[in-house]
Amino acid sequence: MTSAKTAKRLTRILSMLPYVIANPGVSVDDLSERFGYRRKELIDDLNLVFLTGLPGYGPGDLIDASVEDDEVYVDTADYFARPLRLTPPEALALLASGMALTSAGQGPPALESAISKLSSVVAPEAEGGLVVDLKEPEFVGLLRSAVEGNRVVSLTYTALGSGQTTERSVEPWSVFSANGNWYLSAFCRTADAERVFRVDRIRAAAATDEGFVAPAEAPPPEVRYTPGEEDVRTVIGLGPAAHWVAAYYPVEDLGDGKIRFSSSDPAVAARLLLRLGDDAKLVEGDEVAGLLADYRQRIRARYAGD
Amino acid sequence: MQTIHLSEPWRVHNPRVSKVIERILNLLAFLLTVGRPVSAEEIRFTVAGYEQGEDEAFRRMFERDKELLRQLGISLEMQATDAFEVEYGYIVPEGGYELPDPGLTDEERAALWLAAQAVRLGGQPSGPEAIFKLGGVPGTIGGEPLAANLGEEVGLLGDLFTAVVEHRIADFTYRERSRAFKAYGLVHRRGHWYLVGALVSGDIRAFRVDRISDLSLRDAQGAFERPADFDVNRSIPDAPWEAGPEEMTAEVVFDADVAWWARREVGANAELTEEPSGAIRAKIPVAHPEAFIGWLLGFVDQAEVISPPELRERLLARVGEA
Repeated sequence: MTSAKTAKRLTRILSMLPYVIANPGVSVDDLSERFGYRRKELIDDLNLVFLTGLPGYGPGDLIDASVEDDEVYVDTADYFARPLRLTPPEALALLASGMALTSAGQGPPALESAISKLSSVVAPEAEGGLVVDLKEPEFVGLLRSAVEGNRVVSLTYTALGSGQTTERSVEPWSVFSANGNWYLSAFCRTADAERVFRVDRIRAAAATDEGFVAPAEAPPPEVRYTPGEEDVRTVIGLGPAAHWVAAYYPVEDLGDGKIRFSSSDPAVAARLLLRLGDDAKLVEGDEVAGLLADYRQRIRARYAGD
Repeated sequence: MQTIHLSEPWRVHNPRVSKVIERILNLLAFLLTVGRPVSAEEIRFTVAGYEQGEDEAFRRMFERDKELLRQLGISLEMQATDAFEVEYGYIVPEGGYELPDPGLTDEERAALWLAAQAVRLGGQPSGPEAIFKLGGVPGTIGGEPLAANLGEEVGLLGDLFTAVVEHRIADFTYRERSRAFKAYGLVHRRGHWYLVGALVSGDIRAFRVDRISDLSLRDAQGAFERPADFDVNRSIPDAPWEAGPEEMTAEVVFDADVAWWARREVGANAELTEEPSGAIRAKIPVAHPEAFIGWLLGFVDQAEVISPPELRERLLARVGEA
């Protein structure tokens, strides 16, 4: 057992004891449920506590832990009457998670009051010092209810990279947020394949009356891209200012500052290169080179007033 | 040699761990009741579980135990054991062990637990330990989880949060420069964590947390006050190009086809007018022209900078020759 596991077990013991001290006679079942114990684990921990206490370690010094008629009692352990304080990462994780939900309009009223009570205890001198903003774009609510109700949704979607707009009929699986963007994971009937859509790129969405059977196990909500057979593969050389690209996109690192970038549409790579300017160089990829030249020409033409 | 006593079921699965836990509980019971700093030697000969033959074995064991206490969130300080400061000992300072009671109801604990399950920070949902400390959650919790990810890297956030909460000066490296910083707040916006506050020299700054390295916090608490007029929430702007060193107002025309997308993206501080064609003309505050140009090129030739002229030139320079 690692020290992390030991710390977890100790944390649970030192959290459970104050509860028993404040609620003498609590049932084994209630206590197990509240602290996620299996019955035997709880009895093990109580037996352990029973062996500890204050120097002298005689009958009056050891902690008196007992289970009588399924009721739990702990005596002579007043020094463990308060639970452990939260570590900064624990406090931050709870507050940030709660604020993420409330900023997205998802929190019940009890969450707002919980955040305010917890902040006053863990950050009494820093009111307003933590902000989590997870604003929802239009249609998140509609998509979420379509996910819950298993309703087919029709979408007007403009692809992020290529700028192409399509009408689609999708079976929505889940709506989630990652890296500051909201996504819809769905089965796209139009493409006859699983797809992840960026919600802010949905121009219009409407739930239909048609239902669908959701897969027993939907894929985990994450942005993923697996290069397919027909994908366009491009080799790009990245300058120092463009190294974020290798971290941001799922690319193959070829070493020497070069990456292989795959996309189902060459426009995705061309737009990326356009944006990077001198910070990146196209090494391989004729189709992308043609598109990129076309984009540059069109922009220059517009700015020249042609 | 370890003996397994089958008559004592709690010893069956891992006697070594049980011994560690017993010893830590004894140590805590002693530290929380003794009311004065106690030396390592006193702990060694008083607390059950430290009966070690060798000095070196005790020292190693005690170091590990101190680290375990730290992991649990317990603060252990060194103080002189007498007025002459000849000997130092360990003490759990006031507030170093217990959580002040936030007075949460079961419903509030359940709401926090649900939130902690729905939101990932550092790649995975938080474990239940924090909720246990708050008193546990009765029953199983239902509800459709919101799946949100607040970033993969959580490493520095805990320490930065401590700096904000305890008003301690943070020293760190950002883009190869050393900074001494008064951390007024932490903001998660547009998918990134930002540390906002003021340099010790006085200038207001915001730093991306994932670019901060070599972080250390100075010991002194309450080293600064956040100015009353500093609003953490407003310190990180809504649109990525609104933060930066050059301030200008860009006038841009977006074609009718992309107007819907431009409307969503320009940020709350832009002024928009719709033209009869459906195109929109936008006046957008820009402080980071390079970030703005990068975003604008996503529209290819369906958007055009009207003014200022130097922004047009910079955009064309990025587009380059054929």
